Amino acid sequence: MDQMPTIHDTQQKACILIVEDEPMLAFALEEFLIDAGFEIVGVAGRIETALAMIESGGFDAAILDANLAGVSAGPAALALRARGVPFIVVSGYLASQQQSAFKGALCLQKPCPPDRLIQALRSILTA
Amino acid sequence: MNSPSKSALIAELGELRTRLEGAEETLRAIRGGEVDAFVIESAAGPQVYTLQGQDAEASRIRGEMLAQVSDAVIAVDDEMRIFYLNAAAERLYGLAASHGLGQSVSKIYELRWLHPGDEAAAQTALCERGEWRGENVHVRPDGRELNVESGITVLRDIAGQPTGLLAVIRDVTERKAREDKVLVSETRYRRLFEAAHDGVLIVDPDTRKIVEANPFMTQLLGYPHDQLVGKELYQIGLLKDEAASQKMVRKLKRTSQVRYEDLPLENQRGQHQEVEVVANLYDESGHPVIQCNIRDITERKRTEEHVRMLMAEVNHRAKNLLAVVQAVAVQTAKHGDAATFVSRLSERIVGLAAGQDLLVSNQWQGVEVSDLVTAQLAHFKDLIGTRVLLAGPAARLTPDAAQGIGMALHELATNAAKYGALSNSEGRVRITWHVTAETKPRFLMSWLEDNGPKVVAPARVGFGQIVIGRMAEAAVQGVAEIKYGDTGFSWNLSAPLKNALT
Repeated sequence: MDQMPTIHDTQQKACILIVEDEPMLAFALEEFLIDAGFEIVGVAGRIETALAMIESGGFDAAILDANLAGVSAGPAALALRARGVPFIVVSGYLASQQQSAFKGALCLQKPCPPDRLIQALRSILTA
Repeated sequence: MNSPSKSALIAELGELRTRLEGAEETLRAIRGGEVDAFVIESAAGPQVYTLQGQDAEASRIRGEMLAQVSDAVIAVDDEMRIFYLNAAAERLYGLAASHGLGQSVSKIYELRWLHPGDEAAAQTALCERGEWRGENVHVRPDGRELNVESGITVLRDIAGQPTGLLAVIRDVTERKAREDKVLVSETRYRRLFEAAHDGVLIVDPDTRKIVEANPFMTQLLGYPHDQLVGKELYQIGLLKDEAASQKMVRKLKRTSQVRYEDLPLENQRGQHQEVEVVANLYDESGHPVIQCNIRDITERKRTEEHVRMLMAEVNHRAKNLLAVVQAVAVQTAKHGDAATFVSRLSERIVGLAAGQDLLVSNQWQGVEVSDLVTAQLAHFKDLIGTRVLLAGPAARLTPDAAQGIGMALHELATNAAKYGALSNSEGRVRITWHVTAETKPRFLMSWLEDNGPKVVAPARVGFGQIVIGRMAEAAVQGVAEIKYGDTGFSWNLSAPLKNALT
């Protein structure tokens, strides 16, 4: 944290919602984002939880796993779009296997180097 | 010796002269064409002989003709003895005329009828109309069977009395064999056509109309056979419109084959089907015909779709697992010593692999708790039953719960071996699980150590702590309780039943 950019001192930290069903990945992502100077508003492992958290709001961007315990995260993508909240889709599917709900969204492939994820997150937050 | 008198000899000579004159007169009359028939007295009574050819020249020409014709000609008397046979008959039955003449016809062939009623019908026809035509089998003395077509006429004398039969016989053995072959072939291919599980349509290229359709086509489209025949392909929904139909025929005339894959088809019941159509232009004895083979590929499409879906799923899972390995590597590096990084990471990857094996061997439908424990404690399998005790009912964990609890078990075992009950020679571990009897039942699982060395909570939260704590909790949306008691280390996990078990 000491070597992180100084923006945290002058600006409020960006709040992120993590939608990821794999506890190990959610945990690693959470830790990594905190280290990178973000604040985590919550972690949702199921589509119902994700939709409830999106409904409550209070975050600036979301990271979305395309598949939540065998269920598509498509509805979460639609809900985020409806609220104008930017998001990144992280998935193990090929682009050609991707569902239509994620069309036009910034998609990253799993496994994703953490730096690239942070970079992508910053780009959608400033867009 | 009593010699005749001279007068008797003179009288006899006179009589012979008279008879010779009579005979010469008869002969002259026959030669002159004045006689049609004559009667000869014999021991058996008077016999009438008709003379059809009065002219020797005409008779000779007739003989030549009969010798030239390729059909066998045989004439028999009323006792079925041959009195005439031509060269073709000699060839057909393999004999010389000298052997045939005067013989009973049954000596040169044995007659066999094709159908039970044929013989009676032939008899009736000969009696009533004086002639019969038909097919039967003649078996030669050497055993060869001939299929013959015969025309038989009754021969009559001048008084109209039957005197014999004239038979004109044509050998049709080869033609019959060819016909039989065609018939066998027709039956065989007709059966294929009728029983095929591909639709087959025969189309006239000039009118573009269906002229024949097999039963499977009826099944496929829901149109009865008579409604298919006479229609154009676009009228049964096989092609979009008349223009498409014309285009197909034009293309066929150029290339002889047209193939349409994935043609959507709607049958008469309104059901949607995927079909593959292969049309070929063939020549049928100078007439062009189009044969269309229509294959229902709905099932194949469904399978392909299923395979595509499975491949996507496999990809997703594989990459998810790689992401987990990546996260585990990062966490292992972050929370542990650099010196033990490789061995700790390798062990954790082995633990993940064991979990995968269990999930796959159970078709990703969940894992039995006891199987999961045994798999994750593979290093300590010799202690199971003595120092490691398992107790719990048959219970199947969901894939997510199995992954989270499996990783926790792996960390618990590693810690026990390093610092806890499995690090000395007396310590024991009791692993138990059960389902509570509440209205909202919960799944409880515990790892209890005793008789081990005294344990204290670590000063720094390591990755192992995270795995058995919040990650196990997240996997089942439950609560994990960790205690470093005087009697040993303990771990209790409690989760709503539906989050943990299938």
